[in-house]
Amino acid sequence: MVFSSISFLYYFLPAVLAVYFLVPWKWKNGVLLITSLFFYGWGEPKLLALMVFTIVLFYICGLAIARSEKRKKLWLSISVVISVLLLGLFKYADFFISSVNAATGLSLPLLKLALPVGISFYTFQCLSYTIDVYRGNVPPQKNPISFGAYVALFPQLIAGPIVRYVDVARELDSRKSTWQDVSLGLRRFLVGLGKKVILADNFALLMKLFRESGQPSVLFYWMYAIAFTLNIYFDFSGYSDMAIGLGRILGFHFIENFDYPYLSKSISEFWRRWHMSLGSWFRDYVYIPLGGNRVSRGRWVFNILVVWMLTGLWHGAAWNFVLWGLLFAVLLLAEKWIPGLKKLPDALRHGYVLLAVVLSFVLFNAESLSQAGGDFAGLFGFGNLPLVTQETLYYLRSFALLFVLGIVGATPVVKQAGDRIARSKAAPVLEWAWMTALLLVSTAYLVDGSFSPFLYFRF
Amino acid sequence: MKKCIPAILVLSLWAILTAAAWLLPQKDLSVAERRPLAQMPEIEADAILDGEFMEDFEDYALDQFPLRDRFRQLKSLFHFYALGQKDNNGIYLSQGYAAKQEYPLQTVSVGYALKRLNYVYETYLQDSRVFMAIAPDKGYYLAQPSGHLSMDYETLFAMVQEGMPWATHIDLTQSLNVGNYYRTDTHWRQEYLLSAAGEICEALGVTPPREEDYTLTALEKPFYGVYYGQAALPMEPETLYYLGSDLLRQCSVYDYETGKTGSVYDLSKLESRDLYDIFLSGARSLLTIENPNATTDRELIVFRDSFGSSMVPLLVQDYAKVTLVDIRYIHPDLLGEYLDFHGQDVLMLYSTLILNNSAALR
Repeated sequence: MVFSSISFLYYFLPAVLAVYFLVPWKWKNGVLLITSLFFYGWGEPKLLALMVFTIVLFYICGLAIARSEKRKKLWLSISVVISVLLLGLFKYADFFISSVNAATGLSLPLLKLALPVGISFYTFQCLSYTIDVYRGNVPPQKNPISFGAYVALFPQLIAGPIVRYVDVARELDSRKSTWQDVSLGLRRFLVGLGKKVILADNFALLMKLFRESGQPSVLFYWMYAIAFTLNIYFDFSGYSDMAIGLGRILGFHFIENFDYPYLSKSISEFWRRWHMSLGSWFRDYVYIPLGGNRVSRGRWVFNILVVWMLTGLWHGAAWNFVLWGLLFAVLLLAEKWIPGLKKLPDALRHGYVLLAVVLSFVLFNAESLSQAGGDFAGLFGFGNLPLVTQETLYYLRSFALLFVLGIVGATPVVKQAGDRIARSKAAPVLEWAWMTALLLVSTAYLVDGSFSPFLYFRF
Repeated sequence: MKKCIPAILVLSLWAILTAAAWLLPQKDLSVAERRPLAQMPEIEADAILDGEFMEDFEDYALDQFPLRDRFRQLKSLFHFYALGQKDNNGIYLSQGYAAKQEYPLQTVSVGYALKRLNYVYETYLQDSRVFMAIAPDKGYYLAQPSGHLSMDYETLFAMVQEGMPWATHIDLTQSLNVGNYYRTDTHWRQEYLLSAAGEICEALGVTPPREEDYTLTALEKPFYGVYYGQAALPMEPETLYYLGSDLLRQCSVYDYETGKTGSVYDLSKLESRDLYDIFLSGARSLLTIENPNATTDRELIVFRDSFGSSMVPLLVQDYAKVTLVDIRYIHPDLLGEYLDFHGQDVLMLYSTLILNNSAALR
């Protein structure tokens, strides 16, 4: 089930909220666990057992790590090895087999296992739990219902943000939801819904039209690349907004996941603003344990390459994702080693980051390396491609306003305007008006059948 | 608490829509979209385990959502006027007409259509005079001036000309204009077809229809064309007219599918979803019109799509018998069982829409 669906908005969510707010406090985590498992099972009924197994495994490992000083490393290893094996089996096995086949000429059969939705997200959340318990950063959760509710919590279960147990441990045991929380959560949820349904899905429409184009042109390739850059931002940050908003309604305070990444003036800044929960996860659980930057230059380069290759692989089991991750590793190393970069004017630095990000997302979104090669050739006019065609001009005219809205929406301008309005006398009326408009227009798009799954589900 | 009032109002609206979605009785069909609506799926263990129930429920939730047509209208209005999109689901509005953006030219589809028509010619028609007329869709007149995309019509016409060297080709493009089409439907309006029918009759060597021979009759029921539902915009319904005459009233139409004999204008279709079906009863595989008042004993066979339904009544005047064949609904191999091909005049009348989307041709 996805947030941007009629079944979620008008069947699941109202029912869950009604029950959640009606039951006494001691049952609330139980309600969250049961409804979250229902939410997951709705899309993956056969893989529900894997989710339950993951909950039980990490619950036991967490308790065992805390109880046995001697064997805590063993229990941590068990949790890490089993979860990595499961992730490897479901997500990476076929990639590995097909790579071996391609390299050796063998014909090993593929497993063709269905990829459990959100497995990368909930596995990383669980790993952060046992590692933090091992490090003594947080006590284990003794209540299996509360722990299950944490792992399966539907707002952030399948597309993040990657909420660490340590960040919500207190709220799992004691939280309250005031009218103000509901109000702020609803506002955040509707902003996310609008980002996804009105902006991201319409950019996705342009991308689809591009792939079906009978008259490709250089300009159309660039429109596609920029459309995907905006699509993935509004899709993913929209989901994060919805998750954070839902969490707030339920009394949780999830961490932020995006901070206007397209304003960045360096790649390192970009990654401090983009998918922040993933970046900080890799920093705390991979990069720093490897030694971070307090090692020899060679070892540091190795650490960077490992972390970014894993970041690429986390996004998908394909070589274009590996290259995508390594591209950022190279750019980050270049930023460290070319001091002159920091002295460039802001506009140039900003332009360089945007260009690098746009091109990186072309690689990211390609279905294969050959398609990525074709896309790059198109972007730079190879193959006697015309600069512009009648078809391209038509779609440029048709999507011009959407591009403007997308570009403006990726900056803090809208939020600043909203804050200004919030201080005005007409604030209550205007707030009601825009929230109502977002709900109705988003519903209208969904009713019209423009169903589109979230991009980050495949991770 | 005062600051929360906007959120409470929005939640109230959300709750009302939710209650309506849960409690309102389900509908069987969408009149605007001319299709049955998904119904609540049955809860069965197998269907739940393989995810089929969930997929069906998503369809049900979408189809049965309260005020569905209003929400679709809101989406269209927002898409066109707030986002500045030039089309909505491929439908655009220009000069008050709703039209589908038929783009690009599907040369593979045109090639397939030509293959099927060649097969028909080689199987049955080598002793006949064969004529080919292409009915342009309204995008031919509407798309370019309004800056919308359209198929490459000239290439399509050239492909058809080249692919059917055995046919005499009739150009209808100069006999029509955008005003000759319904604003809310794909089809042309019969009351404006006399000029185009005249072109065809002249090529066939029969008497062209004269305006004074017909009386114009309007249907009282409003006509909502197929684009009315697809565009989901607040468009006015249209009036559907048909050209009647004593000659047509005395013609009888035999339907090979039902074995029944009816009339050229089938007014029982006033109760159907598509009023355009009054023209020769709509989609039919095989019909024969007997004309007792024909001035000759000549016969005509028309291979056609739905554009032919409103055109053919204007061609029957001199023919004693006109047979209409729609090879979307009957395989050409079966025609020999029903029809005797013996050198009759043959007209192939196909719209650009069918040629560009010909997968249904058998």
